[in-house]
Amino acid sequence: MSGAVQFHTPENRLAKLMRVPGGKRVADALADADKGLDGLRGECLDELTAVLSKAEKLVAKAGALPGAALVGRLYALVSATIGLPTTCGLPSLDAMLVSLSDLLDHMTSAKTWDADAVEVHLRAFRLLLHTEAARDGAGAEAILGGLRQISQRYAK
Amino acid sequence: MGLDPKSKAQFNLERASVLLLDENPMGMKILVQILTGFGARTLSRCGSVEKAEQAIGHGQYDLIIVDSLGAAGAGYDFVRWLRSSGIQPNCFAPVLITAGHTPASAVSQARDCGAHFILAKPMTPKLVLERIIWISKEGRRFVECDSYVGPDRRFKTEGPPRGVLGRRHEDAAPAQSDPSTPPIEQDSVNSMNNTRRVQI
Repeated sequence: MSGAVQFHTPENRLAKLMRVPGGKRVADALADADKGLDGLRGECLDELTAVLSKAEKLVAKAGALPGAALVGRLYALVSATIGLPTTCGLPSLDAMLVSLSDLLDHMTSAKTWDADAVEVHLRAFRLLLHTEAARDGAGAEAILGGLRQISQRYAK
Repeated sequence: MGLDPKSKAQFNLERASVLLLDENPMGMKILVQILTGFGARTLSRCGSVEKAEQAIGHGQYDLIIVDSLGAAGAGYDFVRWLRSSGIQPNCFAPVLITAGHTPASAVSQARDCGAHFILAKPMTPKLVLERIIWISKEGRRFVECDSYVGPDRRFKTEGPPRGVLGRRHEDAAPAQSDPSTPPIEQDSVNSMNNTRRVQI
């Protein structure tokens, strides 16, 4: 490392403000935030349906050997959606999105493409989104375990 | 240690000014619902890096929550810009980054951008509140040098990483046993772990 290194401790205004009398109890704040998120549930489900449709169209376009730009668009779409499913009570769908993002990232690094591996993730997306029975603990865990094995196959 | 979700402890975000940066409208709505639930009243919602940079130049923020913004990590670049902008006091504000997925190519970018904490999605209200409270309590020192501006990344006082020589004067040499005394025998170590019946 070159040049001088300086250390200093800036004023922590947030700490002072958070100690001001008033505000909320932790339990009440968490309950209010959960209530607010419940109100977004319907909108989140619509968004997930739209994302699935866009992803399927991109994969259909991809063919046997898609360009880096198309894979990049698919990665951007999928990774930007992580977090939405948990908001609408579908945490297993979030795990699927993480697995698909891992897969796309690994394939980008390795400059390869496996249409079957991507399609099996999208089939799981559809299943977990539309089939309530598939979302139970054991069923979802079996699906997710299989998906993780597929995406880890491409990890260095 | 985790936050007890039934805790009656109080905190106050009513007067805190919070800047949110997320290009994804649903992501922004989720953040807004969480922070409004926590009692925050002054939220600046920025849907692009440009808007966030303008906001930084015009207001004063006590907490900044930034999405990583895609594979290229525009959110990390924004935080790096903020830290080196010299716009006080915002350049020292606590920054929490939210990231859906960090591609292998962006891991060092995420680590070195100058954020206080990176929160992996999916995030729950409990996780967000835990981190806000943690950030507000820790009072970490800032480091400024050619290659990095931001909170000290070494905040656990565990010394330099294994196999790396310390760069700071407080990095003590690793403790070594006195070679003139023989090491303790394995049998003696084992005997310390054995259960024994004793008379009381």
